[in-house]
Amino acid sequence: MHINYWTELTRNNFGKIGLAMLCLVLFIALFAPFLARYDPGEPSHAIFMSPSFEHWLGTNDIGQDIWSRLLCGAKNSLLVALGVGVFTTLLSTVIGASAALVGGLYDRIVMRLIDALIVIPAFIVIILVAAYVLPNVWTLIFLISILTWQGGARLVRAQTLSLKERMSVYAARTFGANKRYIVIRHIIPNLSSILFAVFIHSATRGVFMEAGLAFLGIADISTVSWGLMMHHALRFYYLDVWKWWLIPTGLALSVTIMAFVFIGHALETAMDPRLRVMEQEDWQ
Amino acid sequence: MIELRELEVMYGKRRVLHGINLTLKRGESLSIVGESGGGKTTLGLSIIGLVEGTVRGEILFEGKNLVALAEKELKAIRWNRIAMVFQNVENALNPLYTVLDQVSEPIVVHKLGDRNEATRRAGELLNRVNLPEGRFYAYPHQLSGGEKQRVLIAMALANDPDLIIMDEPTTALDALTKVEIINLIHTVCKERELTILLLTHDFYAASTLSDRMAVLYAGRIVEFGSTPALLSNPRHPYTRGLLRCYPSMTTTKDLQGIKGRMEFFDVGCPFHPRCTQSIGICREKAPRLEKNDGRFIACHRGGIIPLLELRDLSKSFDSLKAVDSIDLTLYEGETLALVGESGSGKTTTAKLIMGIFGATEGRIYLEGKQILGRDKSFYQRVQMIFQNPMESLSHRLSVLEAVREPLDVQKLGNREQRESMVRQILDEVELPSSETFLNKYPHQLSQGEAQRVGIARALILNPKLLIADEPTSALDASTQAKVVKLLLNLQEKRGIGMLFITHNLALARKISDRLAVMLKGIIVEEGPSNEIVSSPLHPYTEDLLKAAPTLSSRVHAVPERTSERNDGTGCPYANRCNKVTEVCFNEKQRLSSLSTHKVACMLCTATD
Repeated sequence: MHINYWTELTRNNFGKIGLAMLCLVLFIALFAPFLARYDPGEPSHAIFMSPSFEHWLGTNDIGQDIWSRLLCGAKNSLLVALGVGVFTTLLSTVIGASAALVGGLYDRIVMRLIDALIVIPAFIVIILVAAYVLPNVWTLIFLISILTWQGGARLVRAQTLSLKERMSVYAARTFGANKRYIVIRHIIPNLSSILFAVFIHSATRGVFMEAGLAFLGIADISTVSWGLMMHHALRFYYLDVWKWWLIPTGLALSVTIMAFVFIGHALETAMDPRLRVMEQEDWQ
Repeated sequence: MIELRELEVMYGKRRVLHGINLTLKRGESLSIVGESGGGKTTLGLSIIGLVEGTVRGEILFEGKNLVALAEKELKAIRWNRIAMVFQNVENALNPLYTVLDQVSEPIVVHKLGDRNEATRRAGELLNRVNLPEGRFYAYPHQLSGGEKQRVLIAMALANDPDLIIMDEPTTALDALTKVEIINLIHTVCKERELTILLLTHDFYAASTLSDRMAVLYAGRIVEFGSTPALLSNPRHPYTRGLLRCYPSMTTTKDLQGIKGRMEFFDVGCPFHPRCTQSIGICREKAPRLEKNDGRFIACHRGGIIPLLELRDLSKSFDSLKAVDSIDLTLYEGETLALVGESGSGKTTTAKLIMGIFGATEGRIYLEGKQILGRDKSFYQRVQMIFQNPMESLSHRLSVLEAVREPLDVQKLGNREQRESMVRQILDEVELPSSETFLNKYPHQLSQGEAQRVGIARALILNPKLLIADEPTSALDASTQAKVVKLLLNLQEKRGIGMLFITHNLALARKISDRLAVMLKGIIVEEGPSNEIVSSPLHPYTEDLLKAAPTLSSRVHAVPERTSERNDGTGCPYANRCNKVTEVCFNEKQRLSSLSTHKVACMLCTATD
């Protein structure tokens, strides 16, 4: 069956909400410089201010405007989401598809490697690495990606194996098609749904891990990151302004993660025929 | 008795006969067959010296060259030694004389007796040809066609000749009269030890009246050999084409024609424009009639070429022998039906040929060359129609993209050329080539449409060999009929060799020249379709035939499992065969030849 993902997404309620939320975050990320009233890095205001008309969410310990930082933080989260999403998907595809297509010893080695890597807790490893190099956003994307591609690669491999055995692929071979043609014209287009799912999952995980690491203090101090803001907030919990730093930031982070989760859920519903049937019964 | 050497006849500038060499011994009968306009009558007339064109070469009759003979000497031979039964019954008799007078005329003219003697003899002859006595004094217009033919035969016999040339003696006669005339000719010739030269396009007359047969095409003999051999196993593409056009109770395949029209060529093989296996040399040089495996064939390619040969082909999946050293040969322009129940290894065989599976053992030859690796050019010549059209079409490709895919892969033509080729092939498989249809996706097509898209994909590269794996099993009867007709038409036009895989024997019989019955990876019986259908040898084939669909209301008994034993050492049918013996379980039979069939069965080979 031919599935149009856009129609599927917009037909599903979760999908609609997820998309709306993602659009909002995207809008904020893109237009933060215009929406923010102050430079997020500018420490020229009074410190520890409560919310006021001047500073909607007050200021922090060095006098930066929290509202401006909140808006600008969206960019960081989305950048991580996109970076991890793209990089992980790429790794999963190349490794998973090549294992399925080449097969034999190579396949077995790759599969055992995946088994080995999947038990390594990515979080701990990154904390360890961060002990030596303070990661900036790109290092972080790289680290998260190379530690979390295994699940995706497994999915891609399984799907490629089944695609490879399709009659349509055999038919293409009987026209004289070589491997390259088959990969480009038959395997990759048919992997797109899986790849999209892998992308959404990786993006969600990327946002979550980045925030988590920053919350633990593992982040370049100069980046404007929601996780880092929450980390700072907790350092001043004895002052009553901390909640203005923590709650809006937490909400923003939740909205972003939920956007991805909802989209992912909607896609899964669209792709899994069993879920599709249930969905229809729900409607009736 | 008579020998033609390099006989040539020209009508003005037009050469009607080219270098005919034939020898006919006393008492022998030879038929010359071919389409009308091929030069048969000219050949007959040139022997009795009545042809109006220029004759070159030699016609040796008992040592005398008839071509060089003066008209007076020729007259002595004509009708006394060589007589002819002319083709056109209506015009051959003079309407003004009674038949008795006409039969006695040659006797009188050649002064073999006086008028009374001649009339007496004519009466005898008319009696001999079973013309009722009351009709002796009838005028030709009062006689029926069959009666006139009898009179003509009596006339030819009048002077007791040694050689009779009969030009279409049975054409235009109804079936029963035809048989009567054939029987008459047969007995008369036997009792008088006549030598017959039969010129006809009627294979029935030729098969019953002649020992040897020459096929004449556009003034050249293309195939020459013993009549039964030529009929059961034609080797020249033209002979096969003629036989495919001839409706008879023995052939089971649907009628097929020969593409194009007959034209006379001075250079090159005369048949090349209509031949589906012609190569460059066929256009440039006329082939000589050469001895080839017990007969003479005039073909640069040595007759119909074997297109695909499988030798000892085997494929095992772990311990399961899906295909167990099979031998098959598929000739150019032929349909070989591979019949058997599901799981018998038919599809595996197809996939082995296409290279989807690698063979465990054995060799595959294409046009005589062993296939070692398969490149793009291989797939240009060999294509496959897949069993399930919906699966073999990618759901992401529109009709246009799917049908264009083979061209894209092979990088043939530019974008516009490819698109016009797609439209053309869709026309050929009777699908619309409108924009809306081209942009449809597989799930928007019906089963029949999808299968025809599959066929179009397989045909767009113009392959010589088509592997059709159950191409119609998913279709309803009317669509199936269309698809089958289409494939047969394409075979006629392009000479596609087809390996038609099916479990439907009733269908296989209508479309195939030869049948191979497969069971558990081995071929148990192989031979011409009509013979397998009319006299199956292997019990499995018999049971398959019993189970084949008929329109009678009888319910057929399904062969019951007679034994649970089957460890794979014996005959694969042993546990279901009702004629099974102990030996069947222990020994595997190899395919061995038995008359025109090949069969792998203990019982058939043992009793013979």
